[in-house]
Amino acid sequence: MSVKHASVHAKWIIGRVIGTKMQKTAKVRVTRLVLDPYLLKYYNNRKTYFAHDALQQCTVGDIVLLKALPEPKSKHVKHELAEIVYKVGRVVDPLTGKNVAGIDFMESLSDLPLKEETTLSEKLQELNISAASSEAESPPAETPSS
Amino acid sequence: MPMKGRFPIRRTLEYLQKGEIIFKNRVKIMTVNYNTHGELSDGARKFVFFNIPQIQYKNPWVQIMMFKNMTPSPFLKFYLDDGEQVLVDVEGKDYKQISQHVKKILGKSEEVLQAEAQAKMQASNPANFGPKKYCLRECICEVEGQVPCPGTTPLPKEMTGKYRAQMAASQD
Repeated sequence: MSVKHASVHAKWIIGRVIGTKMQKTAKVRVTRLVLDPYLLKYYNNRKTYFAHDALQQCTVGDIVLLKALPEPKSKHVKHELAEIVYKVGRVVDPLTGKNVAGIDFMESLSDLPLKEETTLSEKLQELNISAASSEAESPPAETPSS
Repeated sequence: MPMKGRFPIRRTLEYLQKGEIIFKNRVKIMTVNYNTHGELSDGARKFVFFNIPQIQYKNPWVQIMMFKNMTPSPFLKFYLDDGEQVLVDVEGKDYKQISQHVKKILGKSEEVLQAEAQAKMQASNPANFGPKKYCLRECICEVEGQVPCPGTTPLPKEMTGKYRAQMAASQD
């Protein structure tokens, strides 16, 4: 296999879509950390790649995973869209699977049954009784805040 | 004159070279999602502040990207060569725990590192002499305590080739 054209190192890259004005192609900006030789501090160095996006499903601002094509598709396009990692405006939290906007959830986390509230108030009554009877310190029960 | 910044020791070569996490060859991309405020993200923030430079120094070909305030919970995500993705939840953990965990799951183990060091040693065997690209030394004259290079100081007469040839010829 000739190594002339194929993108040697970048088999998988992650970047942010900055342009979709080309047909079936997305312009992706990839940042890599590069060490400044004097300050010895890492800074983002950016590079733009063009990626083939057959279904034109990218919008500007998406975070996108690109895979290197075995053969370059054209002079500039050497990668294709593997998956959209975070779609802009519709980010899905990978741990819960729910939609997220910044640091808040868009929908309320209501997967816990409501029966817990009644048991919680009962527990508090029990605690009050025990606090009144004996002066033992009783820390409040730990419950996930809904 | 002290160095500038909050923890300027992070910007020393010695600190960077002390990085423990060397990723396996399969790991190509590392992504850190964390929040700038909040106690739960504190471990992730410290991990980014202290350990990311070390990791990037030891793994120059891994792309590392940081995302801030995108999701409520902090996590790490690794993208491996065969398309596999590894998700590491980091919420509430201490930065040392995070780096230990990452080292355990995706770092090269001690024995692998030592085996690689051994292989490198064999390639650069100090017993070999040759071009600078392949061996440490080019000629025995570079070693202290050996006969110095005749290019710099002329050899004593008895060691020169033409004297020895003369003596051999006169004896026969």
